[in-house]
Amino acid sequence: MRLLLLAVLLLLGAGAGALVLRRRPRLADGVYVTLLLAGAAAGLSQAVVVLAGGAESVVAVAGTLPGGPWAFGLDPLSAWFILPILGVGACAGAFGVGYLGFERSHRPVAGTHALFVLLLVGLTGVVTAQAIVPFLAAWEIMAISAYLLVMHDHEDADVRRAGLIYIILTHLSTLALIGMFAALSVNATGHSFTELGLGNRTPGAARTVALGLALVGFGLKAGAVPLHFWLPGAHAAAPSHVSAVLSGVMLKVGIYGLFRVVSLVGAPPAWFGWALFGLGLVSGVLGVLWALAQHELKRLLAYHSVENIGIILLGMGVGVLGVAYGQPAVAVLGFTGALLHTLNHALFKSLLFLGAGAVLRATGRRMIDELGGLGRRMPWTAVAFGVGSVAIVGLPPLNGFVSEWTVFQGMLAAGASREPLRYAVVGAAGLGLIGALALACFTKLDGTLFLGHPRSPIAGRLPLRDPGTVMLGPMLALAGLCVAIGLLPAVVLRPARLILTELAIVPGSGALADTSWSADAMGVTVLGAGLVAAIVLLLLARRWLPAGGVARLAPTWSCAMAVSTSRMQYTASSYAAFLLGAFGPLAGTHVSRTADSFHTSVADPVQDGAVLPAWRMLGRTSVLLRGIQGGRLRWYLLLVIFTLLVLLLYLTKAGRAS
Amino acid sequence: MILGPLLTLLLVLAVAPALPGLATRTRALLTGRRGAPVLQLYRDLARLLRKNVVYSRTTTAVFRIGPMVVVATVVAAATLLPLDGHAALLSFRGDLVAFTGLLGLGRFALVLAGLDTGSSFEGMGASREVTVSVFAEPALFLCLTVLVLATGEISLAGMLGERLAAVWFGAAPSLVLAAAALFMLALAETSRVPVDDPATHLELTMIHEVIVLDHSGPELGMILFGNAVKLALFGALVTGVLLPLGLLPVWLAPLVLVAGLGVVAIGVGIVESSMARLRMNRVPQFLVAASALAVFGVILLLR
Amino acid sequence: MSALHELLLLCVVLTNFWVLGTTRLSSTIRATAIQGALLALLPIALHPSWSVHTLGLAGGTFLVKTVILPGFLAWAIREAAVRREIEPLIGFSTSLALGAVAVAISFGIAQRIPMPESNSSLLIPVALSTVMVGLLVLTTRNKALSQVVGYLVLENGIFVFGLSQVERVPFLVELGVLLDIFVGIFIMGIVVFHINRAFDSLDSTRLTELKD
Repeated sequence: MRLLLLAVLLLLGAGAGALVLRRRPRLADGVYVTLLLAGAAAGLSQAVVVLAGGAESVVAVAGTLPGGPWAFGLDPLSAWFILPILGVGACAGAFGVGYLGFERSHRPVAGTHALFVLLLVGLTGVVTAQAIVPFLAAWEIMAISAYLLVMHDHEDADVRRAGLIYIILTHLSTLALIGMFAALSVNATGHSFTELGLGNRTPGAARTVALGLALVGFGLKAGAVPLHFWLPGAHAAAPSHVSAVLSGVMLKVGIYGLFRVVSLVGAPPAWFGWALFGLGLVSGVLGVLWALAQHELKRLLAYHSVENIGIILLGMGVGVLGVAYGQPAVAVLGFTGALLHTLNHALFKSLLFLGAGAVLRATGRRMIDELGGLGRRMPWTAVAFGVGSVAIVGLPPLNGFVSEWTVFQGMLAAGASREPLRYAVVGAAGLGLIGALALACFTKLDGTLFLGHPRSPIAGRLPLRDPGTVMLGPMLALAGLCVAIGLLPAVVLRPARLILTELAIVPGSGALADTSWSADAMGVTVLGAGLVAAIVLLLLARRWLPAGGVARLAPTWSCAMAVSTSRMQYTASSYAAFLLGAFGPLAGTHVSRTADSFHTSVADPVQDGAVLPAWRMLGRTSVLLRGIQGGRLRWYLLLVIFTLLVLLLYLTKAGRAS
Repeated sequence: MILGPLLTLLLVLAVAPALPGLATRTRALLTGRRGAPVLQLYRDLARLLRKNVVYSRTTTAVFRIGPMVVVATVVAAATLLPLDGHAALLSFRGDLVAFTGLLGLGRFALVLAGLDTGSSFEGMGASREVTVSVFAEPALFLCLTVLVLATGEISLAGMLGERLAAVWFGAAPSLVLAAAALFMLALAETSRVPVDDPATHLELTMIHEVIVLDHSGPELGMILFGNAVKLALFGALVTGVLLPLGLLPVWLAPLVLVAGLGVVAIGVGIVESSMARLRMNRVPQFLVAASALAVFGVILLLR
Repeated sequence: MSALHELLLLCVVLTNFWVLGTTRLSSTIRATAIQGALLALLPIALHPSWSVHTLGLAGGTFLVKTVILPGFLAWAIREAAVRREIEPLIGFSTSLALGAVAVAISFGIAQRIPMPESNSSLLIPVALSTVMVGLLVLTTRNKALSQVVGYLVLENGIFVFGLSQVERVPFLVELGVLLDIFVGIFIMGIVVFHINRAFDSLDSTRLTELKD
């Protein structure tokens, strides 16, 4: 725990340094990056020690603080979430130094760097808090610093709107969490998590209310449909390195919260598992479908986060169902899949956002349909982005495949068990649909951005090249981690199973002591290594063919099309049009046609179809109530007299009854 | 003991290029023509390996590596199937996810190689190909779910091996439905009628043919070989579901498998000669029908 | 013999999917004809007593459901020169998906319905799903002839339901059922014929133009 405290101090020092030294940009950047990386290294090493089986430790701050003693601790679950927080946070922070460096001339950036550090500290506090009040305090620090970071480009009206929706909804989630903690404290003796856990082991009304509020509060924070609509706006409006942390890490505290609640409650009821399962399936399918329809680069990536949160919720749902129906093997697979996908998604989603940031910096364009052919000018960015794309689709041999494989295994194992858990096997077809839609979306993105010809003259004229080391280094590091975890899944499977043992979520020790998982992990390693070896062998064999060396270059033949311009190639919208048309009104695209123009626009179906109309209706009905505030004194006096008469009547009736 | 599965795998890879030829020959004979020889694809592959290659100036390394990824993934997927009815070359729990994932990786590489040329034809083919895959993936998973529910095993070697032979008669209706759905998926994945017509090169009708328009020489040969092996894989799935190969001795099962592959190829030819190609927006409906059959099979096992 | 009636009932569900998924009207009529033939064999498979009564019922069902009614509908198609169904209200893919959902729901709730013990555990679910598919076709298709086919499928579902309820097959029940079908189809046929005559089209959406 001491190392983690040191890490927090170093991070705060980095932020302070950026603020204090803001007159000397190069020194400020150097101090910031060094202290950030040092702090991350300290925290990560502590987390790795705990995950490898080291002892956990608790630090309690004594004194008369509100809500009882404030305790922070690092148990294996917290350590698992520290990995993405500090790891991805450090990469994104380093990237941000280069990314925001361009803006120094017209906007102060020291504040943004300091707020970024504050966000990381808040996130660390949330996952290490062991009592109610420190948890909520850290939660608020995290939410507000995220809001201020989202509002970095506050001159833009869209950014302000996105920030407003975000802050309203995040406080809605805080409200739900306060209610949840209140319900949990009804049967508990104190405010620390251990005391809450002891008091809530048996089913009761308070526990049911707490679980429902947990779903709302943590689900909203994680971005599950239908409470996801703050996500695309906020993640697209923020600077790219902040989006990486928001999408990759901040959504995961919702998942952390759900894991904590499940461990506090002991034996979760079956309805909770089915609710998680259903939410996960719906979020996954709708998230990726709406992502496919987007025209803007960062909004597309943000909707994909909704989909991946859906996959994590699916895994958690399978885990809870396994516990509720007494199938520990299924539970282990489901929870392991959810934990793995949390880490993997943090890695590849932040990689994709950093890549998007690099593209944005180099071209100045956010719309996918205006870009093209960037692969030739920015090869390393293209390679890193490609690795992230293959990982997010869940294809072997990368890390997305490992976590999706584990979740699939959970659902298939559920199918091989008894009623009514068997019905969960239909989730396998749903997850397959999600994977195929993700493949469509990322072939669209990669193909339009990096391949082919540039689609607008601007994308071809700027001096495009790969970003510098401080921006490229983090991307390549994250890509390397994706490949490493994909080829060696045992490295992450072991700590995940340790977490489940420590948390005692899964009853009985048989399923967790079973070591047959290592044979499966070895199988995945052999498959991945074999695949890579096969591709390399084919490449070499191709060179040694007699015809191998002689290659001619010519314009694209394409069935003898004589003249092929860059405007004739498929745009991203036309690529996705056939698939979106097959899904009909579910996809949320609106087409407007006139005699001489054709325009498609994308709206979030939940926000523009349900929430905003309900909001407007609320406004209209509230106008009716305006009549009460007429401004006439006589009318107010009459209301007071009327209320007094009603109270008098009630008191006489109550008096007569007693 | 990997010798048996290894030899069967090599046998299937060697026989695979004959299958598209068999389907085309059947179709030709049933429509009153003589048709190309059954072993034509072997000659085509040998010829293409000797040819020089022409690359488009627009393309990058993605175009050059794509065909190799296609072949590597489809051969890796073949190692996961228990082709001789008893054991697979590589097997672990949940490897059916790896099977579909490998086929997906091959499709990813092929589509990106097509988009790399910057041509509108390849873009159109890529768009149609991913749409077909979106409707085909759930159907494939539903068929594999039928096998999981029937046998209680979650690895391909377990689902299609000796365990399937033991439960075959109890779950027969669902298995027949799954086999029918797998046959329809084979037509979709290998771009045969009614999803795509391999004999024409019209813009209206192409899906797979149009993505590979710019490939030439050995790369084109690799893609044709990959397509043939994919047909063999789906044929092996259909045969494995309908015939319990686990009951046969190890030396007989591969021969029965090859015979089954031949029957599936002839079946493809019969379907091709009796149906017209579907309109493009009816193709998702065709695949939803395959999913409906598989869902019905799942319902019968879940009750 | 017990496997035969299960096989027949499974094929009935497959013909329901056929009706949902095909666009050609002649194909839907062929599907209902085959469904009728399957239903004709069903009483024999359920009560293998080979009495004159059972054989007569089977023969009568076959005659009406497989020969007469489909023939009548085919004649109506030729007269009206209608070949294909246009895209229905919810789309063909969604119809198929909803049909699969209907089958899932009927298999799921069949055990919960309080029913007396019947010969086969598949009768109730198949009956429910056939009724649901018939209602689906009846409500979502545009062409009047497709709606007639939906009505036929609905009646077939009720027939299967009736088979599950009676131990011996009493004469009165089947007469009632067959007459019901006959009258319904007769009326629909007349209406169809008149619509075609009056409006030169069988598109039921144009029936809303009746008001002045």
